[in-house]
Amino acid sequence: MSELDAALTVFSQEAEELLTDMEDALLLLETNPDDSETINSLFRAMHTIKGSSGLFGFNCIVAFTHEAESVLDLVRNGERVIDAELISVLLDSKDHTAKLVEHCLTQPDTPIPAELSAVSERLIKQLTGRQETAIQQAAEKSSVESEGGGDISTDDNWLISLDFHYDAFRDGMDPLSFIRYLKTLGEVKEILTLAPDMPTGDDMDPENCYLHIKIAFQSDATKQTIEAVFEFAAEDCDIKILPPNSKIEEYLRLLDQQADTHVQRLGDMLINVGALTKNDVDHALQHQHADSLTEIEVPAKPLGEILVEQHVVQQPLVDQALKKQEQTKQKLASEANYIRVDAAKLGHLINLVGELVISSAAMNLIVERHALTDAGDVAASMNALVNSIRDTALELRMVQIGETFSRFRRMVRDVGKELNKDIELYISGGETELDKTVVEKINDPLTHLIRNALDHGIESAEQRLAAGKPAQGTVQLNAYHESGHIVIQIADDGAGLDSERILAKAIANGLVKADHDLTQQEIYNLIFAAGLSTKDQATNLSGRGVGMDVVKKNIEALRGSVEIDSVTGEGTTITISLPLTLAIIDGFMVGTGQDRYIIPLSMVDECVEMNPEECEIDEIQHYINLRGQVLPYLRLGDYFSNQIIDSNNKRESLVVVKFGQVKAGFVVDHLHGEHQTVIKPLGKVFDNLKGITGATVLGDGNVALILDVQGLINSAIKYQSSSFHRQIKTNLSGERK
Amino acid sequence: MSNLIRKDAGRNLAVQEQVGQYLTFLVASESFAVSILDVKEIIEIANVTHVPLTPDYIHGVINLRGNVVPVIDLSARLRRRSTVVSKRSCIVLVEIEIAEGAQLIGMLVDEVREILEIPPANIQPAPDFGTDIRTDFIQAMARVDDIFIILLAINRVLSLDELSLLNDLAHTQEHLAVAGE
Repeated sequence: MSELDAALTVFSQEAEELLTDMEDALLLLETNPDDSETINSLFRAMHTIKGSSGLFGFNCIVAFTHEAESVLDLVRNGERVIDAELISVLLDSKDHTAKLVEHCLTQPDTPIPAELSAVSERLIKQLTGRQETAIQQAAEKSSVESEGGGDISTDDNWLISLDFHYDAFRDGMDPLSFIRYLKTLGEVKEILTLAPDMPTGDDMDPENCYLHIKIAFQSDATKQTIEAVFEFAAEDCDIKILPPNSKIEEYLRLLDQQADTHVQRLGDMLINVGALTKNDVDHALQHQHADSLTEIEVPAKPLGEILVEQHVVQQPLVDQALKKQEQTKQKLASEANYIRVDAAKLGHLINLVGELVISSAAMNLIVERHALTDAGDVAASMNALVNSIRDTALELRMVQIGETFSRFRRMVRDVGKELNKDIELYISGGETELDKTVVEKINDPLTHLIRNALDHGIESAEQRLAAGKPAQGTVQLNAYHESGHIVIQIADDGAGLDSERILAKAIANGLVKADHDLTQQEIYNLIFAAGLSTKDQATNLSGRGVGMDVVKKNIEALRGSVEIDSVTGEGTTITISLPLTLAIIDGFMVGTGQDRYIIPLSMVDECVEMNPEECEIDEIQHYINLRGQVLPYLRLGDYFSNQIIDSNNKRESLVVVKFGQVKAGFVVDHLHGEHQTVIKPLGKVFDNLKGITGATVLGDGNVALILDVQGLINSAIKYQSSSFHRQIKTNLSGERK
Repeated sequence: MSNLIRKDAGRNLAVQEQVGQYLTFLVASESFAVSILDVKEIIEIANVTHVPLTPDYIHGVINLRGNVVPVIDLSARLRRRSTVVSKRSCIVLVEIEIAEGAQLIGMLVDEVREILEIPPANIQPAPDFGTDIRTDFIQAMARVDDIFIILLAINRVLSLDELSLLNDLAHTQEHLAVAGE
């Protein structure tokens, strides 16, 4: 039974993956309907699911996927045209298949409910219903093509160009003999004899060969055979053999059929299909080499370009070969020997690596303490190894965010249709990597934000046109790395946030008082407050005012932050900043009194001595003048111990931290330096703790706490302003006295 | 060691069915007990890292074989004075079931006494009044040699929802502000 369970798990994973691929492929087809590779992958997806379902006896899935498969088979064979309508039906079929799979997995013993089978029937009807007409159309189309094709066949000849060198006759060559021999291979349709560089009068040397011959030649022989005819002339003659157009199609087909097992060089690919001979390629390579020698600054021309310039191969062939090469590369990259690993095992490995990092720190501590010079080298090399193990282990869990991004294509498409808006999703930075655990948790907030952009952000087509914008709205998803964080941006070119309306709503809801003077940024941030929606009418997608607060909470739970920026009439950009990993970070250890704290190194800007003589310190308003910059600061010791410790005769340091655009200083007693920090959760007990995000185990076995820089910066700023107000109050009361 | 106890406890339970084993300990000179089945491990007091901005019932966190485990000052939690750590202080580790699995929590106690077998006949329901401890913290009262020992309801005493409120916290800014002025 357990084996069967395991097999079922594999089946469900496989089905899920295939269906995701299928969705991607369908969306790709919308923009590029003739891509045979994509159609093939669609067919394979349905076929594989049908096969595996049959294995488990899930007959309802088999019955349904069989129909979809048949339709896709027709498409694959060019007997049915794929259009937007069919893609829509296929997308629905994909969803339906997912539902069927889920049903079969969760309630394998109950027959499928009537509603599901009704959907099955409806979709099958949609899939097959228009089939006849579609076939007819396809047939008409193909007949037109073949009629038109008649003209092409007239020049369906090999073009052979022989440019003899002057010495050809002296070397005993007889151009005619080659042509005679060529006749044994096929039919010479036409010969042109040219003598373009024939000099006039006395300059002409009758012993020189000035002949250039162009031959139109019809034959089924391969390029190699034809080239072999001129083998002896090769030294005295520039030979160019251009294959006939009909051959090109064959070559294209052959190119397509080439195995994907390894990436080939362009030349090799063209030789393999017979479009080029080895001589052609060698010649072109020499040319390329010579070029790169003579013109140092100019980068060498690509081989394909040279080949086309030399008239040995047609442009479409080179293009196709290059495309094929790229496809193979991608395919190999995506197939690149993946091993499916249980996430729990990987988690365990990363935990162990964490322990290793801690033990290695402990070892270093002992080596240092006992001044073991001979052990120092070993410890250092071990440390380097541990570091690279740590990095590699963490990389194992890194995944590209592109997959998450591309899931939104479907959503944008469907929601756009539902809202009757034409919206295009642009994705960039999909190759940016981040921890799998982060990816999983960012999906929901992203979904919400994109829905918001679609529903609230982008206006209707009429409104857009009236505002002088293109009717099609765009939403951009972008990701990039920035100082140890991954930044995800969601930008729309919609109407932007209406700050007046937000403010009015916030005042109506009692979130802010009417007389508060808020900056634009602060007003925008109000949309993250619970229960605020500016949309007058709630749709079933968004607008109920639930969500943005959850989004913010989810992102902050990942130790990330979210910022919003908007220009009225031009659009809204939401920027999410997340840590790359939740497991291990580079930390900076500081101490106050007996306590030690870790600050994520990526957030540390600089450390300076807290010296009243060098920089102006305002102890009352809690800011420091650092090289002309006003910096709010927080005495960590005082803040954490809840009392003011006399700090007059201590040497203190100021650690300048930054989060996003905001900077603040933490005043500490000691700087302990960099520390590899394995983040350990503090557990549920400390869920509501402010200022601390986690803990780590130090080399000596003690626990140090990791500071929540963002939270503390905010406290520092608040603190500064609150002490400022206090100051005013004291002044006032002083005056009154 | 803890495993041994647990196994024995299990067998005894099976054989005699009703006699339960309880670990007794001292907190602020009073005896308390918890079912041995709740106890995971007893460790000596190690280096405890204080967590700032927490109420006094949170003693801090310790490193338990690479895991960070919170330690609750049982005395403060039961509304006595904060524990003064002595040579005999121990941390009793218990496991609390939560939705995401189990959470290990340490209880700081003054002294661990012994493991008692208490027949159910000697266990009585908690009185509605008459103790200075929150009644929902008391699972039952056990009579041992004519002395009553309070059996703690671990799930209530160490309720994560309640502990995580950290609401005893009189927050800092006001404090500091007062101190500053």
